Amino acid sequence: MIFKRLLDKQQSSPPMEAPPTNVEPIANTAQLFIQAIQAATHYPDDLIVKSLSPTLTLLYINHLVDNQTLNDHIIAPLQVNTTTTPEAVIDTLSVADIQHGSILAEAIDALVHGAALIHVAGYSKVIFASIITRETRALSTPENESQVIGTQVGFNESLATNISLIRRYIISPDLCHKKITIGRRTHTAVSLIYIHGIASEQMVNTVQQRLTDLRIDALIDSAVLAEMIDDNSLSVFPQMLLTERPDRFCDGLLDGKVGIVVDGSSMAVICPQSFSEFFQSQEDQNLRWPIATFVRLLRLAAFFLSVYLTPFYVAALTFHYEVIPQAFIVPLSESRALVPFPPIFEALLLEIIIELLREAGARLPTKIGQTIGIVGGIVIGTAAVQAGITSNILLIIIALSALASFTSPSYMMGNVVRLIRFPIILLAGYWGFYGIMLAFCFLLIHLLRQSSLGAPYLSPFYPPRFKDMRDSIIRMPIPLTAKRPTFTRPTDEYKFNPDEPIKPKKS
Amino acid sequence: MKIPPKEMFNAHLLFFVMHGAQIGVGVQGFQRIIYQDAHQDAWISVLLAGIATHIVTFFMIRTLEMYGSNDLYGIHQDIFGRWIGNVFNVIYVLYCFIAFFSVLRNYIEVIQAWIFPNIGEWFLASTLLLIIIYAFTAGLRVMVGVSFFSVILSLWLVLMLGFPLKFASVNNLLPILETDFRSILKGAHSMTFTIIGFEILMVIYPFVQDKKQVSKYAHLSLLATTTIYVAVMVVSLMYYSGGEIQRTVWATLTLFSFISFPFIERFEFIVVCFWMLIIIPNLCLYAWAAYRGTIRLINISSTKFIWLFALLIFLGTLVVQTRFQINGMDTKLSRAAFYIVFLYPILLWLIVIMRKKVMMKK
Repeated sequence: MIFKRLLDKQQSSPPMEAPPTNVEPIANTAQLFIQAIQAATHYPDDLIVKSLSPTLTLLYINHLVDNQTLNDHIIAPLQVNTTTTPEAVIDTLSVADIQHGSILAEAIDALVHGAALIHVAGYSKVIFASIITRETRALSTPENESQVIGTQVGFNESLATNISLIRRYIISPDLCHKKITIGRRTHTAVSLIYIHGIASEQMVNTVQQRLTDLRIDALIDSAVLAEMIDDNSLSVFPQMLLTERPDRFCDGLLDGKVGIVVDGSSMAVICPQSFSEFFQSQEDQNLRWPIATFVRLLRLAAFFLSVYLTPFYVAALTFHYEVIPQAFIVPLSESRALVPFPPIFEALLLEIIIELLREAGARLPTKIGQTIGIVGGIVIGTAAVQAGITSNILLIIIALSALASFTSPSYMMGNVVRLIRFPIILLAGYWGFYGIMLAFCFLLIHLLRQSSLGAPYLSPFYPPRFKDMRDSIIRMPIPLTAKRPTFTRPTDEYKFNPDEPIKPKKS
Repeated sequence: MKIPPKEMFNAHLLFFVMHGAQIGVGVQGFQRIIYQDAHQDAWISVLLAGIATHIVTFFMIRTLEMYGSNDLYGIHQDIFGRWIGNVFNVIYVLYCFIAFFSVLRNYIEVIQAWIFPNIGEWFLASTLLLIIIYAFTAGLRVMVGVSFFSVILSLWLVLMLGFPLKFASVNNLLPILETDFRSILKGAHSMTFTIIGFEILMVIYPFVQDKKQVSKYAHLSLLATTTIYVAVMVVSLMYYSGGEIQRTVWATLTLFSFISFPFIERFEFIVVCFWMLIIIPNLCLYAWAAYRGTIRLINISSTKFIWLFALLIFLGTLVVQTRFQINGMDTKLSRAAFYIVFLYPILLWLIVIMRKKVMMKK
């Protein structure tokens, strides 16, 4: 409550300045116009001013425009037929996106967005020919969400490329695309994408409202955006999915979700997202259903194992020896005989070593990172046991829970799993099973309190929807999963008619 | 009082709410108390108590249906007028408070007796209260959710009843109906403390979305509770000998103590801690019922209410310390609950019916 109030205060305190309403007209002489542009852009060295003929002046920012187009479709035609009116210039140029305006601010805006400005002497009017080119890398396989069966293409940093990827999967006039600019200084282009007729209009409006209400300085990555527009920014649990897979993104759209793509960011945002969906991978859809079900159950088990296994060890060894079977207590006490520390310290030490290895591996270049991981893991692990500061069994448990934490298909959720382990280990070390149970109840209530775009986070388990459970922690065969998830409140509830067979009878 | 549709919940969740509110600390050790009166026919007492809950709930629903979307507090104010009605409301709020306290205090005692003899009551009380506050401040939807998960996630405990059956002897149940009927009834009366909780229906009724379904799910939940209680009782009777059952304070927990798996033994350590999940709906719902009554009396925000409520409960745990005091409290609560939960709803129904007839004549 207090945090919320603090947050509200923070958000409301700096008075937002109104957007500058500069209506200064464009000068009708080339000299004055160039001076005005240079002053407004603070005399940049990459602003090119070129006089094409006595009446025509061309301005553009080098490296922001496509040189090929500039030469072939703007400079060449204008040098051949020297026109003297703006209308004639527009007719001469063979550029698709061409506009004209008479306000200086508009001209500057177009210039920084990659337009070539053509000023005709004697007219207080300027022509913007948008010939933007942005450096972008080639499409590559998704590095963070790799899968064996399925498409091998990921989003890259270019908004245009990403949209074209999405439009390739969903070829439909119902695919809606709304552009919103965010960031007072960066003017980042953000695209809101949804399918008309599936996505709930209320959800679309909510997302749009949250996006347009953002009063921020800069937006560099979609992860920041996701954190700012989700329901509870203070929770450790992500409430929106970040994905770099276009197939996953499109699958979300087809379930009635709303997607957000940010220019310059290779991760797209999908919302609303429920807790159990963070443990689903797109690959599950491509595998046969029993295998997909098995893998999903395995991941869920891995989640619990990863969060509770180490605390359980700590609690059992600190307080509840009785629960350990007699046959097992002998090897356990043998391996712990030399360890001078209490279990909680021992566990925290090893957990932190694992986290260090992971962090070092993530920061280092790939080749060195792998080496460090293997060498560090083996050397530290073996040495720690031989030096007698940890027990073998704890080493196995810690490695197991670390391994389990990597099974989450969403990296964001994997991070959460790794983090929440620490407070639970502490609770287990001080109050045993009681502490673990406290943490469990707290987590349960916390998850119940969360929502994603107003949709319940623990859907489809609470509120219970049995039809939705067919594609949650299990995956039933495709003919049985005709219904879209209820929590996205889709306008069109069914993917196909569940009463009719989706494939004709085999002959 | 109009309830916004956002705060309402589906009728089928009422099953989990009532079931979650009923099962709590009582089931941990009700065998001994019932056995004192009804001996090997104790399971019949449990069954009778279960049937009594059905009857009482039937009248409760009849009363509530007459008022549409009003809770017990509103009905009181309507029947007895503002002042006298509020006196009844105060009594009911006090009852909820004491029931909450009793559940919490009994659970703390179990934790201390089974696992941590040296841990302070203040610590256990404050941690549990913080969890309750966290759930309470999120509103009824979350509390209903907690009840739902509490029931679903505890289902495996019922399966564990199969383990003691290996050592059970049916002969312990025989001869049936040897005890006289009076003693069996007396045993049923002793079930009060264990079986109460379903009275939450009187307060939560306006929040149920589909009122027509209420009686179906309410009775289903009572049936589920009675089945579990009878099952626990039958298993305990078959597993323990007569003398043993009278000497075992928490017979249900002791049932778990010899369950063993290849990787785990002494299962009751886990069960006792896991019981926290079972009592949290109890606590949440009693606190919430008290809150619904309090806002009829004074103007107070839910956050302020729960902190004040928790503070009073916390101070209470510091006062009630010994086993003797706890036992005395349970007995008194049980006696009061018998009138408040079992007799009063039927009386209330009669009053409402009479009043309606008088009004019709006018």
